[in-house]
Amino acid sequence: MEPSLVKISKHCDNLESTADLLSQRIQRLVSEKAGLMNGAVARTLDGDDGDDELHSLRSQNKKLKYRKNILQKSIDEYCLSEGVEAGRSKQANDAAPSVEVSLHHMCAILQNLEQVFIRAVNQAYPQISNPPSVQIQLSKMADYQCNVAMALAKILKENPRIVAQKVLEAVGKSPVIGSLELSGPGFINITLSQSFIREQVTRLITEGVTPPPVEPITVAVDFSSPNIAKEMHVGHLRSTIIGESICRLLEFVGHKVLRINHLGDWGTQFGMLIAHLKDRYPDYLLSPPPIADLQGFYKESKKRFDDDEEFKKRAYAAVVQLQAHEPDHVQAWKLICDISKAEFDKVYARLEVRTEACGESFYQSRMEELVKDLDSRGLLSLEDGRKVMYAENCTVPLTVVKSDGGFTYDTSDMACIKYRIHELGAQWLVYVTDAGQQQHFKSFLACAQRAGIYDPSAVRVDHVTFGVVLGEDRKKFKTRSGDTVRLVELLEEGLSRAEAVLREKGRHEVLTPHEFEKAKTAVAYGCIKYADLCHDRTRDYIFSFDRMLDFKGNTAAYLLYALTRICSIARTAGVSQEALLKAARTAPLELAHEKEWKLARALLRLPDIILRLATDLYLHPLCEYLYELSSVFSEFYDNCYCVEKDESGTVLQVHTSRLLLCEATATVFKHSFALLGINTLDKM
Amino acid sequence: MAQETVTTLMVLGLTAQKAEETKKNEQLTSVLLSIVNQAVEECNGAQNIDRDVGKLLYILATKLPKQFHCHLPLLTTYVTSRKIDQEAKLLAAIKFVQNCIGSTVDAAALEASCGIGVTVTQDQIEAGVSSILLSRKPQILDQRYKFNFGALMAEARSTLLWADSKKIKEEFDLQILTMLGPKSEEDLAKSVKASKAADKTKLSSKEASITANDGNAALQNGDTTTCGLSILELLRNAPFHKPGENHKSEGYVITPNTKDLLQQHLKITAGKVRTRFPPEPNGILHIGHAKAININFGYAAAHGGTCFLRYDDTNPEKEEEKFFVGIRDMVEWLGYTPSAITHSSDYFDQLYTWAVELIERGLAYVCHQRPEEVRGRDPPPSPWRNRPKHESIKLFQDMKHGKFDEGEATLRLKLTLEEGKVDPVAYRIKYVSHHRTGDAWCIYPTYDYTHCLCDSIEHITHSLCTKEFQSRRSSYYWLCNALNIYCPVQWEYGRLNMHHTVVSKRKIAKLIEHGIVRDWDDPRLFTLTALRRRGFPAEAINKFCASLGLTGAQITIHPEALEATVRDVLNSSAHRRMMVLEAIRVELSELPDDAPSLITVPNIPGDDAAGSHQVAFASVIYIDASDFREADERGYRRLTPTQSVGLRHSGYVISVQDVVREAGKVVCIKASCAQATASNKPKAFIHWVARPALCEVRLYDRLFIHESPEDPAVVPEGFLSDINPSSLTVVSDAMVDGSLVGAAPFTSYQFERVGFFSVDPDSSEEKLVFNRTVGLKEDKGKN
Repeated sequence: MEPSLVKISKHCDNLESTADLLSQRIQRLVSEKAGLMNGAVARTLDGDDGDDELHSLRSQNKKLKYRKNILQKSIDEYCLSEGVEAGRSKQANDAAPSVEVSLHHMCAILQNLEQVFIRAVNQAYPQISNPPSVQIQLSKMADYQCNVAMALAKILKENPRIVAQKVLEAVGKSPVIGSLELSGPGFINITLSQSFIREQVTRLITEGVTPPPVEPITVAVDFSSPNIAKEMHVGHLRSTIIGESICRLLEFVGHKVLRINHLGDWGTQFGMLIAHLKDRYPDYLLSPPPIADLQGFYKESKKRFDDDEEFKKRAYAAVVQLQAHEPDHVQAWKLICDISKAEFDKVYARLEVRTEACGESFYQSRMEELVKDLDSRGLLSLEDGRKVMYAENCTVPLTVVKSDGGFTYDTSDMACIKYRIHELGAQWLVYVTDAGQQQHFKSFLACAQRAGIYDPSAVRVDHVTFGVVLGEDRKKFKTRSGDTVRLVELLEEGLSRAEAVLREKGRHEVLTPHEFEKAKTAVAYGCIKYADLCHDRTRDYIFSFDRMLDFKGNTAAYLLYALTRICSIARTAGVSQEALLKAARTAPLELAHEKEWKLARALLRLPDIILRLATDLYLHPLCEYLYELSSVFSEFYDNCYCVEKDESGTVLQVHTSRLLLCEATATVFKHSFALLGINTLDKM
Repeated sequence: MAQETVTTLMVLGLTAQKAEETKKNEQLTSVLLSIVNQAVEECNGAQNIDRDVGKLLYILATKLPKQFHCHLPLLTTYVTSRKIDQEAKLLAAIKFVQNCIGSTVDAAALEASCGIGVTVTQDQIEAGVSSILLSRKPQILDQRYKFNFGALMAEARSTLLWADSKKIKEEFDLQILTMLGPKSEEDLAKSVKASKAADKTKLSSKEASITANDGNAALQNGDTTTCGLSILELLRNAPFHKPGENHKSEGYVITPNTKDLLQQHLKITAGKVRTRFPPEPNGILHIGHAKAININFGYAAAHGGTCFLRYDDTNPEKEEEKFFVGIRDMVEWLGYTPSAITHSSDYFDQLYTWAVELIERGLAYVCHQRPEEVRGRDPPPSPWRNRPKHESIKLFQDMKHGKFDEGEATLRLKLTLEEGKVDPVAYRIKYVSHHRTGDAWCIYPTYDYTHCLCDSIEHITHSLCTKEFQSRRSSYYWLCNALNIYCPVQWEYGRLNMHHTVVSKRKIAKLIEHGIVRDWDDPRLFTLTALRRRGFPAEAINKFCASLGLTGAQITIHPEALEATVRDVLNSSAHRRMMVLEAIRVELSELPDDAPSLITVPNIPGDDAAGSHQVAFASVIYIDASDFREADERGYRRLTPTQSVGLRHSGYVISVQDVVREAGKVVCIKASCAQATASNKPKAFIHWVARPALCEVRLYDRLFIHESPEDPAVVPEGFLSDINPSSLTVVSDAMVDGSLVGAAPFTSYQFERVGFFSVDPDSSEEKLVFNRTVGLKEDKGKN
């Protein structure tokens, strides 16, 4: 007896240490991965390598987790079969969240059910030290399905049906669950409680979309970030659209969001701009010059800068003056910035994007302090006259001070992260930039960590990357003449294309001029945003007005139109919003037809989706959900009369509950669109 | 040594040349040598083996299937002792031992079955032949030597069992001569016609003959001589073994357990045929699978058996839910219903237990060679091949428990495949979850290991597969026998390939990714969903598969062959409608007052049962631009300013009065209109539409320019460089007969004079979309 026990525990130890080793490897991989994802940019173009590396790391990580799970199960199996205690203290379950349903919010059903089943597993099999993770999925057989018994049965070497039965019996009373049923070899099918569904849909109508709150923290979202004196082009579009949506989403779930527009307003280009300004408008200090075409102004000065040696010298002198805060130069710089910002603001107003400008110039004094601090702590080393900073696992050093004493992007990004964490108190930093900047992020985060500015266990950093905008020829999106597409022109074209589509459908005959104008704007900007958001953002996407304005398929045009149709159902029935609200508050919702139930269940999936979005910052699942919801709604509408009329058009009967379902659907659509930054319409 | 072999063979009476040739067949030679050794001993010396005995022994060596060689000594003794002294008796004995699965033979039963000790006297032969000839005397006297005596001779042989057939023939000739006298001149004149006809029958029966296993009959251009056979008729006559007679098929391996296992097997299957269609659920089905589906389901149906749909889901990395559903849909579309749906993964537990058993029997071992080490030709042998069993068992459990990394250990079978592959892998480690077993396993079985065992578990009678797997047949049998479980019989047939297309999942994905085709069901592809969308009826695909026969040769078919079958089927089933691709407006100025506004048109001319539909007729109609020319041309029989033309189905003839142009282009023709009579009979009738519905028509052509887009010798830049730029033409403003509005997707029509079309699922209430399925054959070069 004795020797066999020794042998077994030795074996356990072996397995255990392997598992630990693997865990460490996973940890390392995860942090490497985080580094990669958040990594900053050497402003290189080879973003592909990073993607490949990330992809391979992810799949390795997945495999390691899988292996760890198998090893863990093997240990449990051994212990169980030999009747040995695993010798590991059981994780305390005291902190397990309550599985009650809040009275103040909509229920995130998946989350709730997962908690219910974690508890049930612990209850049924307290001897298992490391129970398999509980995952609940949508099911065709019932509403949801839980497969945890299959994994448990393997560990226990028992019949999975018996295990499932035991887990099933251990499930406590839950207002969410209507019935549980054993299915197949050991699946547990979960059917939602009908009264729960009624109650939740009613809440949705009366209170709107109210997902369960998350613990609120301060999030700094850095997005859009164009350069002063240059015009915004299509490249800024994605960062602006995605950033805005992420802000709306995080605000909606209750975080404090700092919307930061990290403008490129500091740098050598201001020397030539100021020098040129002085030449062209000598009295700029007295009467502000009417520069309408800042882009042209920039080009002129650039040409002089390149051609005229003497001008070039003056330009450099102007930079020095500016950085020394010489008042006239500062005045000129401000002038240029203001003109430029006014242009940006026009675009932001059109797209209804809110940002707070906090450009690179803001960090001038902080950069000086930072360099002093780093230098004094011996973190900088001299290389070819530059001061650079190295960090572990980071091959490319940061150039903190150039050989001419000037600062770089690296310097400002370091100063900036310090400011955001230590002065603004941000616990989560989100950078919305293109994927090409991953290497840069990796470097400066590593350095920030080395310098003690950033602690990955206290602050979450996400580099929200996105792919390139492609033209319909699948090449980089350009104008016909090969120039970069100016954002303003693109928006203008969007408007006229939207107008053409609406006219083709004869909408101008139906809508008043005011309504038509509103529809045109909403459709144009809505489509541009939606087309961007409905794909996995890390992929390149093809910009096609034809596709995004198509009234078929997963487009904003289609969904906006579908929504107006839904809204019009109650309107044409002559039932007012107030009457509907009153009905919802007074009588319980009647759900009878199979398609009514299907629609109601689909509506209740929204909170889970919002929580998921707010965790992983990918927005396309929401778009997919909307599209799916629209087809579930069509099924409902095709099968269930909301309003019955006779041949002459007289209303015979109004099904109030069905109108309420329409109302709930419209609410889900409107809220979701609001998160995506898209305006909805009553008529279209 | 070599000379010695030849001399030994010559003991059987072979000529030196024949012996020399025989020697080249090593297998046969070794059998013959053992027979000769035994015979020499039993006859007390080579000189005592006479020619007849030698001949019979040679026949014995060539005719007795390998798996029954345990009976060789017994039968040799019967021959040398002259108990078996005729070929007929020997053949009966060979047949008899094939029913004895074990090594013991009931001697009395054998002797009774092959007539040992029976001698037929000359008198008996005379009497037997005489009675047969007398029974047909009137006919014989009438037809004389043209009478077919062959049939009578066969009858005589069956009544005069064990009589020497040479003697029967002699007796026959003698008695006929006595009855009819010598042949007259008339008897000698051969009927020329008859002989030609006979030749012809011979030829076509040859074409229709079915060859299994090693047949080579290549089918060119879908020659439809065998088209008459349905798949059921084809498979009803397939030369496969009967259930329970597995051991009689070529190459089957008989073990001491075979008899019991086959008996149990028959009890379980109740003697019914059982087949399975076993696709890997990692892609979409294509035309090649249609053949597999037809053969497996068809063979079961033709013999009143059952066929399973088994998802061969042993590779967790590649499987996706949508493929499971898609595969089932397509099987059902082709008209087959699986009697059960099974998964290889259902048997993972059993497969694991068997793997442990193999290790215990010393037939499998855990190996640590890296995948890259054993790749390629002649890899080094495994240094772990002879490790102790208990070590392998422990390591195999460790593999299962996750103690090795991927690629660090595999389970290998001690077996060499025909193709030379040594010790194939049975299990490998993959840290990937499986769609059905979840995270239960981290070792997964290979095809080589799983396939035959699943067949065995499911008691498949006929494991039908394509020719490439012939080289796995021996491992298939080896594995079942190593585990002492029921062993099905594997039969191979030739794989079906198509010219002008690619079917691999990866390549189609590339086509989609590059925007060359729209999706997996783009009608230019040869996936089954694509063919359905293009309008190919399932019936035509099945017919086509039947027309290919059961040949073993790999065949590559030109799409035209399949299209011809489709055309045949649609020609008798698709309803006719009128559609104008490129419309010209025609205004009829003198439409008679009594002209009908609706015309009744038969759905299929000449087939009243198919019903009819009504077509609008009005003073404005549209005809196809190609049916009007501004100048007369020799041989052009349709509308010109001076030549009138008839409107199909209407009974009217129109003549041009005026041609209206805009910017030089004809936009409208003003025409007069009259009832067709004997005097104004037009040269041609054209199709037309009135009050039409606009529709979109998609015209398809070959997707690839070359026959073999994957052949680097023909297309060096790869298949993506071989795209036919005009493989899709979309006509967005074609006009179709208004009666088609609301037609259901996938319905097929013949648009008169244009081709066969099918309603695309893209159709909406506002606009119908049609795919051209195939053109009309007689289309080409018609004026």
